[in-house]
Amino acid sequence: MTRLDVWLDAVFATTTLDESTIVFLKGTALAQWVVSTPWVWPTAEALHFLGLALLVGTIAPLDMRLLGFMRSVPIAALKALVPWAVAGFVINLLTGILFFVAAPDQYMHNLSWWFKVLFLAIAGVNMLLFETTQRSQIQAMQPGDDTPGALKAIGAVSLVSWLMVVYWGRMLPFLGNAF
Amino acid sequence: MMELLAALEASAFATWVREGSTIWAYPTILTLHTMGLAILVGANAAFDLRVLGVGRHIPLAPIEWLFPAMWVGFGLNAITGAMLFSADPIEKGTTALFMVKLAIVMAGVVLIPLLRRAVYRRTAIAVTPLAKTFAALSLLVWTAATVTGRWMAYW
Repeated sequence: MTRLDVWLDAVFATTTLDESTIVFLKGTALAQWVVSTPWVWPTAEALHFLGLALLVGTIAPLDMRLLGFMRSVPIAALKALVPWAVAGFVINLLTGILFFVAAPDQYMHNLSWWFKVLFLAIAGVNMLLFETTQRSQIQAMQPGDDTPGALKAIGAVSLVSWLMVVYWGRMLPFLGNAF
Repeated sequence: MMELLAALEASAFATWVREGSTIWAYPTILTLHTMGLAILVGANAAFDLRVLGVGRHIPLAPIEWLFPAMWVGFGLNAITGAMLFSADPIEKGTTALFMVKLAIVMAGVVLIPLLRRAVYRRTAIAVTPLAKTFAALSLLVWTAATVTGRWMAYW
């Protein structure tokens, strides 16, 4: 962890892009509003945790099915829960933007935040692969069928990467060099 | 009562949770508490939504495992919650918001078997009006538990 922090510091030492971004974001009206209104941050935090539960709770059953559990449940039926996972994601994206704009230095200079972003990207690419390459696979499946290896891999990557997003997000105040 | 809380706060374990300069103390316990929340509130939300009509093509019988999943999340959070409480018992034990959260969690825990029994009956597995009421209450109660829990850090 420490060595990676040194590496992150070294990267930021080569550029002033981070400094100018921080100054710009902190000067926006949105940042001023978040900082000067006491109820905004706690309310956004509460929403961020509700979004987290909604996202993980509605995507995990689909991931479990992709891994081969509860084979009598059609994958298409479980996909009906996905819009609720998307709703959780949107809540967390919006509240996350509030946090980031109000305290950009605490996030940009913290390695935990970059790990969180990395796992968000992995989860996103994984979901795109699921939506674009697996449609015919899913349609060909009969009730009770086990899932092929590719779908098992997608389910595992999704479950692990969302849990990693939660892990790095919650550990953010304690790991790395910010706060 | 206050002596009891003071003794707990002074214990070696509580001191380790509160002051241990390792990520395995307070940070990891708090993160496990968040994972437990995701499992409990998440599994509960997924089941409530199904009962309330979202994804009505999901068969009910194969998703009964969401209930043991809720208990795993609850067990994890009862244990990690007790650990977090031990780190700061005098403050938490005298805070109204914490008492409100505990009461809300108890209501939620009572609702778990009520909801399960309302759907998975001996004669049939089906969504009844009673099950819908319990599901809506459940969604509301665990939302309130999450919000009050998160707000304990601020008020």
